[in-house]
Amino acid sequence: MKNNLKVERAIKSITQEELAKKIGVTRQAINSIELKKFVPSTILAIKLSEYFNKSVNEIFFLEDTD
Amino acid sequence: MKTKFLFPNHFKKIGWLILIPSTILGLLTLFELTELNFLEINVFAIYSTMFPGPDTFFGIVSNNIANELFGILWIIGAILVGFSTEKHEDEFIDKTRTESLVWSVYANYIILIFCMLFFYELGFYYIMIFNMFTILIFFIVRFRYMIYKSTKNLNHEE
Repeated sequence: MKNNLKVERAIKSITQEELAKKIGVTRQAINSIELKKFVPSTILAIKLSEYFNKSVNEIFFLEDTD
Repeated sequence: MKTKFLFPNHFKKIGWLILIPSTILGLLTLFELTELNFLEINVFAIYSTMFPGPDTFFGIVSNNIANELFGILWIIGAILVGFSTEKHEDEFIDKTRTESLVWSVYANYIILIFCMLFFYELGFYYIMIFNMFTILIFFIVRFRYMIYKSTKNLNHEE
């Protein structure tokens, strides 16, 4: 799964650390999502979408392999 | 997100406080570097056998309980260290923990298969003793390493 979390974060100019704190996860989690090493749960995906005020599909995208 | 089947974070410290001394004392008694004679007591046994010697079913036998004592303490310590939540627990940590557990089961049994093929008699007996504990050792080491690696990755990023 692809995501543009890093872009969204840049638009809001918020660091991984700050975002992690706002969402209530570790910075490792945010970092791993951005590196595509970790696919977040639906709960976390919705929390992120609510924070960025966008739908989940605007942040996360399926890949051919998914 | 609430993780199931884990101890609260502060149990980790208690775990280390039990694990470290029981590792040292356990190894000392295993290699007979120290003899704790006062731990020689009569215990209830479901089954006990010695060659040569009589079998005991549901009876009393004399035994030095040092191995049992340090073994049990070690397991309790290692369980607390391995299965207490992190200070900042989240689904990423939880996934890392689960994957480390799978990894350690594989590693443990691959090594055991190797040892079954190349260790014999009393040599294998020692392997069996260590194998009782290695799965938790591998798990703790792997989990700590993966957490360390993901933390190290962070400093690369920004």
